[in-house]
Amino acid sequence: MGSKALLMLKGVSSIAPKNQIFNFNRKSSRSSNSSFSFSKVVINHNNKVRRCSTTTTQSSLEPPDVSRLAETARISLTPNEVEEFAPKIRQVIDWFGQLQDVDLHSIEPSIRADTEDSNLRDDIPETFENRESMIAAVPSYEEPYIKVPKVLNKE
Amino acid sequence: MMASTIFRGIQNHPLLLYQTALFRRKNGVFYCTMKSTETQTATQEKQKPQIKNPPRTQTKTSDKFSKDYEAVIGIETHVQLNTLTKAFCGCPYNYGSPPNTSVCPICMGLPGALPVLNSKVIELAVKVGLALNSKLSLNSKFDRKQYFYPDLPKGYQISQFDVPIASGGYIDLDLPVEFGGGHRRFGITRVHMEEDAGKLLHSENESYSQVDLNRAGVPLLEIVSEPDMRTGIEAAEYAAELQRLVRYLGVSNGNMQEGSLRCDVNVSIRPIGQAQFGTKVEIKNLNSFSSVSRAIDFEISRQVLLHSQGQGDQITQETRLWEEGAQKTVTMRKKEGLADYRYFPEPDLPGVILTKEYVNSIRDSLPELPEVKRRRYEKMGLSMQDVLFLANDVNVAEFFDATIAKGADVKLAANWIMGDIAAYMKNEKLTINEIKLIPQELAELIASIKGGTISGKIGKEILFELLAKGGTVKGLIKEKDLVQIVDPMEIEKIVDKVLSENPKQLEQYRGGKTKLQGYFAGQVMKLSKGKANPGLLNKILLEKLNAQS
Repeated sequence: MGSKALLMLKGVSSIAPKNQIFNFNRKSSRSSNSSFSFSKVVINHNNKVRRCSTTTTQSSLEPPDVSRLAETARISLTPNEVEEFAPKIRQVIDWFGQLQDVDLHSIEPSIRADTEDSNLRDDIPETFENRESMIAAVPSYEEPYIKVPKVLNKE
Repeated sequence: MMASTIFRGIQNHPLLLYQTALFRRKNGVFYCTMKSTETQTATQEKQKPQIKNPPRTQTKTSDKFSKDYEAVIGIETHVQLNTLTKAFCGCPYNYGSPPNTSVCPICMGLPGALPVLNSKVIELAVKVGLALNSKLSLNSKFDRKQYFYPDLPKGYQISQFDVPIASGGYIDLDLPVEFGGGHRRFGITRVHMEEDAGKLLHSENESYSQVDLNRAGVPLLEIVSEPDMRTGIEAAEYAAELQRLVRYLGVSNGNMQEGSLRCDVNVSIRPIGQAQFGTKVEIKNLNSFSSVSRAIDFEISRQVLLHSQGQGDQITQETRLWEEGAQKTVTMRKKEGLADYRYFPEPDLPGVILTKEYVNSIRDSLPELPEVKRRRYEKMGLSMQDVLFLANDVNVAEFFDATIAKGADVKLAANWIMGDIAAYMKNEKLTINEIKLIPQELAELIASIKGGTISGKIGKEILFELLAKGGTVKGLIKEKDLVQIVDPMEIEKIVDKVLSENPKQLEQYRGGKTKLQGYFAGQVMKLSKGKANPGLLNKILLEKLNAQS
């Protein structure tokens, strides 16, 4: 979970120009068990201060189709869960909506977040030593193959 | 678990916008026109198909309609890069290794394992991008393409989506002479890096499938063509030229049987003059150039037939499989709209940044490419047939180049390589690198014949000796005492001997049976152990035969 939240921040910083300051003020909200509620964002851009918060700004994005999301992730949700998650997801989407509203016309887009050095590897083979324990952890294995339910068609 | 799922969905959401845009772009990719329903094979292929194309009544029926339609074809090619290790982990990859032996937490998609890009993948991608005259992105990135399938351990494929490492470009080729020849330039839409999935084996009767993850994570380049091809032959030749290119570059073995070069073809037809594209059909399972050509031709016939029967609406957007045995395409799966891969930037990998210096250094290291080689051979005065033969295989081309670099006559060198040497290689199932003959000795052999040291006939004998056992031309000539006899006096002696030994035949000859000249020539040649200069021999023989008549 934590790492996923971090991913999101990464994504954000790649969208945002460097001279912007992001403030994530966590107001406690109803979705207290989710650590991803960024309820307030202050963006200082070109000396203009924009104040946005999920409680005041409506998103221009479509509301989430939770059932479809669950399907694409191959997880099943009960109707109750769908109902419970919808507003939480909505909040996050709204937050993206705010990000999309930021005027970036004068900013050169960056396709990735800045990273230190390009982290590359030489083409030198290295055999992973603990293959046995990985194979042992495969739920259904029949030497030498991993067994899976019969599948013929993609998608 | 739940929360992370939700995040995924959300992160992807903004990306859906440009995904749609790409699909539109992609749609434009797969088209070209084609009229012919002839079925032929790519010539460069070593193996001709055993199964002859069945004379399809279907083709006959649609022939008169086919001239009213043009086909639109595009090809997506996956090229497996011949790196020592996989794209994002150090697992070695060797085709044919025992299943699931070359795996690690990264390529098995275990939680917490992080990919690290193999620098060689970038190098090979840049090589291909430059060779295809593409524009390189100095700043590109990897994206996740998400779908669920058992050969994809992570639940996503690391690929490149909206910013491929190379875009645009073209490839030049020459069509085989037997198909009318001609030069073609086909556009390239893009080249991107991605990882391969594992291998799935479907057992016939069992209720399960088997997965081998050795191939999971092996680096691929996907090369997407522009809609510039016109015929099944052109499509097959495009694929053959790509194979030639990657082999010249040394970035892949390009082996279609092993799946190191895989082609997916998109075919649609439309009435000539119509701007709008017809419904496109994708064909998979093409593991030879001739199957590329024949599958396209079959598919065009099938679509033309449906149109001619007023059933054009029966052509649906689907994936069809080429069945080699039956020589036809069959439905594999129908597509309900476009798949939603929910691409988003791969967070576990930094961007791919190329410097101009790096690109230039690779550009400077590129070998002579097939097209440049062909044009050079053409300028040497070789026929197109010769040019295509010699430039087809990079090793043969190198052998030829090395031979003429030693001063050999260009046309003679080409003739020897395409004639006796090629025949020997074929019979013995050897590649040019496996024969014992070296270019320097071929050059020496040619010079020895041209200079009159040995006869052409002896030259051939020496050649086969060199091919099988190696050695030098000079050594063999000396060892076997094969120097050609060019001294007229010496030849005259032999002629005299033969004439005196065959009085009966001589009488017959002088009685008008002049056909016997050949017999005498053969006897003289035999006596000289093949060393007599044929020109001198015939001249002297004729003089002697006719002298006292």
